[in-house]
Amino acid sequence: MKRVRIEAFFGFLLAVVAMLAMLSPREARALERNFAGSAQIDYHFVPSAKSFRPGASAFDGFTTELSAKLAVDVTEHLSANMKICFGCHGFETDMMYFDYRVKDSLNFRIGRFSPSFGAFNIRHDPANHRLSDKPLAYDMGRMLRFTKWNMGVLPSPFPDTGLEINGTKWLGDSVQLDYAAYAVSGFKGAPNGLDLQFRDSRTPFYTDNNSRPSGGARVAVTAKLGETTDLTFGGSGMFGTWDKYNNQTYAIVGGDITLRLEKTTFRAEYLVRRQQFSTDDPGQLKFVVPASGGDYFMKHGAYAELEQALTPDLDLIGRFDVLHREGNVAKDNPDLSEKSTMLRYTVGTAYVLERGLRLKVSTELYQYSDRGADDRKVDVSTHLGVAGTF
Amino acid sequence: MKSQVRTEVRRSKPMPRSSFGPFATSASLLAVLASLAGLASLSIGACRPSSDALDPQSLPENVRADYQVFARRCSKCHSLARPLTAGITDQGQWESYVARMRMQPASGITADDQVVILRFLKFYSDEERRKKSEKNGANQAPAGSLPSSTGSPMPTPVSPMPPAPNPPAIAPTSAPAGAR
Repeated sequence: MKRVRIEAFFGFLLAVVAMLAMLSPREARALERNFAGSAQIDYHFVPSAKSFRPGASAFDGFTTELSAKLAVDVTEHLSANMKICFGCHGFETDMMYFDYRVKDSLNFRIGRFSPSFGAFNIRHDPANHRLSDKPLAYDMGRMLRFTKWNMGVLPSPFPDTGLEINGTKWLGDSVQLDYAAYAVSGFKGAPNGLDLQFRDSRTPFYTDNNSRPSGGARVAVTAKLGETTDLTFGGSGMFGTWDKYNNQTYAIVGGDITLRLEKTTFRAEYLVRRQQFSTDDPGQLKFVVPASGGDYFMKHGAYAELEQALTPDLDLIGRFDVLHREGNVAKDNPDLSEKSTMLRYTVGTAYVLERGLRLKVSTELYQYSDRGADDRKVDVSTHLGVAGTF
Repeated sequence: MKSQVRTEVRRSKPMPRSSFGPFATSASLLAVLASLAGLASLSIGACRPSSDALDPQSLPENVRADYQVFARRCSKCHSLARPLTAGITDQGQWESYVARMRMQPASGITADDQVVILRFLKFYSDEERRKKSEKNGANQAPAGSLPSSTGSPMPTPVSPMPPAPNPPAIAPTSAPAGAR
């Protein structure tokens, strides 16, 4: 019954947006369409992996991410955006939403989109960031030991279905205020699961599993400190339930800072997720469940990144990542203990081969607090990739 | 959340430590540094046929300041290759495109910036069209004659931009400060 009400609610909103679009004053002009796309082909070489054999040809290290995007300005106020990508989970609708812009400071977004959270999400497309992989906090499957860690804090992108109200407002000529508030179907997982199952967000028709929306908001302030310098502070939060019976909650909060100074860009973000899980079956857990407070874990993620343009075509990038998890884990998880930490140090370069085509080379050093199934605390990996746009 | 270990993790048989550990680290770092040095020398030493950015020195003097604003603002979230290869020649479409970008969170694009960016994009589109016409052996299109799908005139320039008598071809090589 609840699901019917939620679907009816979103259906009503869609009808309202469509009606407003039809009623809005329309200029006599043709539809303006903009088609764009990107692709990244990356080879991830892990010489320290236990399966590594010198001389072996390993095409299984290649990953490919493709995306194609179509933006259509239907009227002066209404636009439609659609983005289809191919990557971790096969074909996926990364975006299919309508924007109805009343004015700059008031925009209604409805459909499937990535809710506003954090700073990295804006540049999640591989063509828009200089390293082959994403920060650990936003990792979606390229990090080492990703299955046992169940990826980062908030795998990016995280398209979801719902409604977002957002806008931007300039305070004078040098301060920009952005806000967003949204209700989406939220993350999902098995009824008695111990963690989110991100694949469940890609069910047929993208239906919800518990008929209860998750909510969130973001506020960011950008200050133009000079012609070539700007500084952005942002804060984000998201809350919801993820199991079928709405018994288990998750809450994610984060803060970010971005500083652009001439040819140098510094970025830092911190995210933390507090997540409840079922303790009905203590036998599936690795540690004894205390009488109180043992039904959740905390997952922290942070990164600091420095991007320096050495020449117009060459960037040098250094990044430090950390993931830290505290709480009970599945009994059969060898890579995690009650408190586990993963550190990653990355140095890389990005070079423009041709306009729209970039070569990315980077090396990563992983350090783990737990020896894990591989019985090692250190791993080294190298990325060699090309990313192109059109 | 303090608790005791409930079950022993059954470790798989310890793998022999890879003798590639330190070697791999050094080799990988060396490879990155070598490629960095090589690419830097290529980048500095050679005249690039096509870069993500344009060489401001190759632009008419009255366009350079506009280009700096375009390069600075539009490279914040994506490479300049995105707009420069978008293939848009319709001024009305550029207006919608830039308006959409201005709405992006933390874009830093003010209403004044939008005017300047559009003025540069008009120049760039005209240049691209002129070069294409020349390449096709067709008559050169008069500068500034791009039709607008809205029928509206170009935004009023912040400063008057006299037409360059002989607009030089755009030679992409180096970018302005902060533009990538």
